Amino acid sequence: MRNSLTFLTRTPVVAALLVALGVAAEFASGSTVQIWSFLLVNILLAQSINVLTGVAGQISLGHAGFLGIGAYGSALLMKNLGLPLPLALVAGAGMGGAGGWLLSFAAGRVREFYLAMMTLGFGMIFYEVVREWTSLTGGVVGLSGVPSPGLRTLTLFGWRIDPVAYFQITLAVVAGVVWLLRNFITSPYGRAFFAIHVSEVAAGSIGVARAATKRNAYTLSAALAGLAGGFYAHLVGYLGPETFGLHRSVEALVMAVVGGLGTLTGPILGAVVFTYLPEKLQVFAEYQFMVYGLILLLSFVLLPRGLAGLLLPRPRFSKDVEALPPPPPAHRAAAGTGPLLSAEGVSISFLGLRALDNASVTLGAGEILGLVGPNGSGKSTLVNIISGIYRPTDGKVSFDGGILTGLPDHAVARRGVLRTFQDPRLVPSFTVRENVLLGGHRLYRQNPLAASLNLPGALREDAEMLGRAEAILAMAGLSHLADTPVRDLPYGDQRMTELSRVILANPRLVMLDEPAAGLSEGELHKLGGLVRHLKEQGVGVILIEHHMDFLNELVDRVVVLDSGRVIYQGAMAGMYRDPAVVAAYLGTETHPGETVHA
Amino acid sequence: MPENTGLDIQGLEVRYGPVQAVRGVSLRAEPGTITAILGANGAGKSSLMKAISGLAPVAAGSIRLDGEDITRLSPHERARRGLSHALEGRRLFHRMSVEENLRVAWDFRNRGGSFKAVADRVYDQFPMLTARRDTPAGMLSGGQQQMVILSAALIHEPRYLLLDEPSLGLAPVIVQQIFGFIESVCRERRTTILLCEQVAAIALRVAHAGCVLRRGQVVRSGEAADLAADPTLSAAYLGG
Amino acid sequence: MHFVLQLIFAGVCVGAVYALIAMGLSLTFWTTRTLNFGQGSLLMTASVGTVAMLGAGMPAAVAVPLGVLLAGGLMVIAERIAIRPLLKAGDSMGWVVSTLGLGIFLQGFVSTVFGSQAIAFPSLVFDSMDFVDLAGVQVSSQYLAVLGLSLTLMVAMELFLRRSAWGRAVRAVSHDADAAALAGIPVRRVIVLSFVASGVLAGIAGVMVAQITGTVDPGFGFNLMVLGFVAAVFGGMGNTAGALVGGIALGVIEKLVGGYVSTAAEHGMAFAILMVILAIRPQGLFGRKEFTKV
Repeated sequence: MRNSLTFLTRTPVVAALLVALGVAAEFASGSTVQIWSFLLVNILLAQSINVLTGVAGQISLGHAGFLGIGAYGSALLMKNLGLPLPLALVAGAGMGGAGGWLLSFAAGRVREFYLAMMTLGFGMIFYEVVREWTSLTGGVVGLSGVPSPGLRTLTLFGWRIDPVAYFQITLAVVAGVVWLLRNFITSPYGRAFFAIHVSEVAAGSIGVARAATKRNAYTLSAALAGLAGGFYAHLVGYLGPETFGLHRSVEALVMAVVGGLGTLTGPILGAVVFTYLPEKLQVFAEYQFMVYGLILLLSFVLLPRGLAGLLLPRPRFSKDVEALPPPPPAHRAAAGTGPLLSAEGVSISFLGLRALDNASVTLGAGEILGLVGPNGSGKSTLVNIISGIYRPTDGKVSFDGGILTGLPDHAVARRGVLRTFQDPRLVPSFTVRENVLLGGHRLYRQNPLAASLNLPGALREDAEMLGRAEAILAMAGLSHLADTPVRDLPYGDQRMTELSRVILANPRLVMLDEPAAGLSEGELHKLGGLVRHLKEQGVGVILIEHHMDFLNELVDRVVVLDSGRVIYQGAMAGMYRDPAVVAAYLGTETHPGETVHA
Repeated sequence: MPENTGLDIQGLEVRYGPVQAVRGVSLRAEPGTITAILGANGAGKSSLMKAISGLAPVAAGSIRLDGEDITRLSPHERARRGLSHALEGRRLFHRMSVEENLRVAWDFRNRGGSFKAVADRVYDQFPMLTARRDTPAGMLSGGQQQMVILSAALIHEPRYLLLDEPSLGLAPVIVQQIFGFIESVCRERRTTILLCEQVAAIALRVAHAGCVLRRGQVVRSGEAADLAADPTLSAAYLGG
Repeated sequence: MHFVLQLIFAGVCVGAVYALIAMGLSLTFWTTRTLNFGQGSLLMTASVGTVAMLGAGMPAAVAVPLGVLLAGGLMVIAERIAIRPLLKAGDSMGWVVSTLGLGIFLQGFVSTVFGSQAIAFPSLVFDSMDFVDLAGVQVSSQYLAVLGLSLTLMVAMELFLRRSAWGRAVRAVSHDADAAALAGIPVRRVIVLSFVASGVLAGIAGVMVAQITGTVDPGFGFNLMVLGFVAAVFGGMGNTAGALVGGIALGVIEKLVGGYVSTAAEHGMAFAILMVILAIRPQGLFGRKEFTKV
């Protein structure tokens, strides 16, 4: 079933279908064309909520508000000010987008049910405002006389538009928008949305600025909903507040959820189902609310990936470009005087517990440093401070002549300080290759418009990045798994994928938090090879690791932490004989006779 | 009351998704002894303990307590059979007072008797808790928190006690005191104790037997004294 | 002057009811870290069920407790089918969608069976025209009774949480479910208990609001739930006192806005307050920031 429907997503097939639909409208009955136009509006609305909820992971229970802003905006501008249709539609989308942008400042600060409640509140406030602002919106009586093709009151450049022409215009616009969206979602910007969705901390670690990315998602989504609203307003010629109540927001969400969140085809399928079912089944309409409720209640359990997940193959999250051979490694400017990284006198406390106490560490370019110490000694905390996740209460971190302390994590990553996590934090639905491409985030130079229009410069950059990704995958021994979604892979392969993602970022300093944990002997060998490769490239590497044999073969130096303090710095061999280290690991020196020496 | 025949673990496997934390561990704790479970961070000690108390998923193998198979029982059912587990990292109820922490430990395994008498005994044992009985547990010092955890775990005189890293983050003098107490519990109440420690020397000082875990497997086991004298022990930790 | 006092008094009374709903929402939030978006519809279903039982000639002393129990029972069902399976799946959005779906289903069900018009809810104890003279101010007996009952229930909740084994178990599970299980606490049963208690509180709140407004309709529970949530967020979702202060503050603001601006602005104002609080202090006015480890 999945593969037999694949042809439906091919470009020539889609183009032929669109033309056929446009032509068929000339011969279809008036009510059919009307339903088709409704379907197009629903597709836009479902795509809109999908961008925000499905792609960027920010749930919205108030999308009817954005739809309404666009609808009233476009209708009033045309009716009261006589703006031409294209300008009114664009203005409606712009007003929706502005609403989303404004909401993102508040909504970007909260998550999960707080976000659900906040977006719900936004939708309710919009609904109340429309009801009460009678002088502008007509209140509960509604706003009639909106220029509309059904009443033959809509003109474009002096040309009177009939419902068929209106459908054709809408079809062309919706097809164009979906094409742009497809390009956007498969661009670095779209992948950044997914990264925020899965883990904000991991997204920050590859240089994705979470607040700005969320703001973009809200703005884009709300602008799409506003556009849908504009098309809706002129389609029906009458607006009432009841159209933009909670049930409409829920309907939008249902379409996207049932169709399949996070895909482009899902919202289209969902829109088809929910435009036709209530229209075709009169008996259904009476129970519409109950049926919606049941669908929402059960869809996540029965259809976790929606209709698209059931019927269609997995969508791609990168562009279909031919990989260009990777450029020869750029010659790195030799590090200036002084170390690459230096953390000086760093201290931090949590809940009164001193996790790091005046710890100082330095690292040179091309040096591998092992960071060891018992559980809870502060190793991960130090890495979190360097990468900007925690802010130290005392001390400072400098990197390559600049100060890192106080910078947010994505800004630290953008300077070339990359890290991995104890538990690999990848986008589970992405393939290995797509996850690795995420690492390139800090390097992309294309702008969102070029990415959405598939301009040659953007495609060339994608092809170059893909070429580098393929080379790194080959080095990591992951080439044969490049097209496998990482959620289907064992732990070791996920770790190697995360490390490959870091390498693609062209890092200058890499911090690996227990990279060897859970790896087999063969995987350990590959991991060691990748770490040595980084060293040869002049990258500084910090390894938090308990696997001493593994460290022994790799590191130039170790730093041992105990209770937040540095208790040893120097060669690995000396560590085994250092009384403080032995005491920290094996026991206090209070009973020397029982202490075990190596 | 079932016969006190000890804790018997056969071929235990613990998996979290793709990660295998414990691989085929078999071990036996004789009644009334302390068994030290040693190994570096990430060796699978905590996962083993959690599998015994019911918090971690058991993929294969069996756990027998006094001859009864408890592998499939829920944690609270195991607790009611006299198995007590003090978690790593001072996990007590931080916003509840010291007394409430003891009370919560008492309520659901209650087999009659007076809470007041039991609480008074705790305060006799650790006089420095007396003044702090109404203080939220989160405000106590690390050593005091460990005392509350131990007291709560022992409030029903369990026949089995699992202790995960009781020395973590404590000053040496407090560690001495805590381990002295653990030793006395075993001696006086005949409690069977499994003791997880990274700090091997302290654990082996009080333990009768021990085993060393490495990457989820038992690599060495035997009498505590033999283990303490074994040069391979340090290799298990430091890899040298 | 009397007008202000009357508004404030009315605000305190309805605010105490919001506090009950807030308390119910907080209870289940503590034990499962979820928010039941179907709570409003459950409450409404229970109120409509009570009206139906009264209409069938059942005495109020039977119908009201049955209605309240219905709310508790529905909450257990909600936990079983709309929350537990979704928490296992691990997606943070799943339970938002499923509990909302359950609520919409119930609302649709009640609309289909009883119609979507407002149904008269008979006066049980006091009529809306009963007044008592309190220090020279005419005070509605109904409001006074509602305030008294709400405060009593809040005190009872506080005592339950502090003094009873099961109440302490609810708090223990909300702090650390694993540690609670090791202390012998049957965690699943405690979670179910928190849902029953949440439903009972919501059910009683629903009956009391219906007494004041005189009618129930399929949409009324949803608004109440939102108000309860605003009150809970106001109070920080941390404890009984927070819920009470949050509820009363919300009730007073709402009545003052209704009295001096417009009753139509009451709800918009509640939502606006919610959004402002969430944006400025996501942990609530009286809440503590939760410490999260990376």
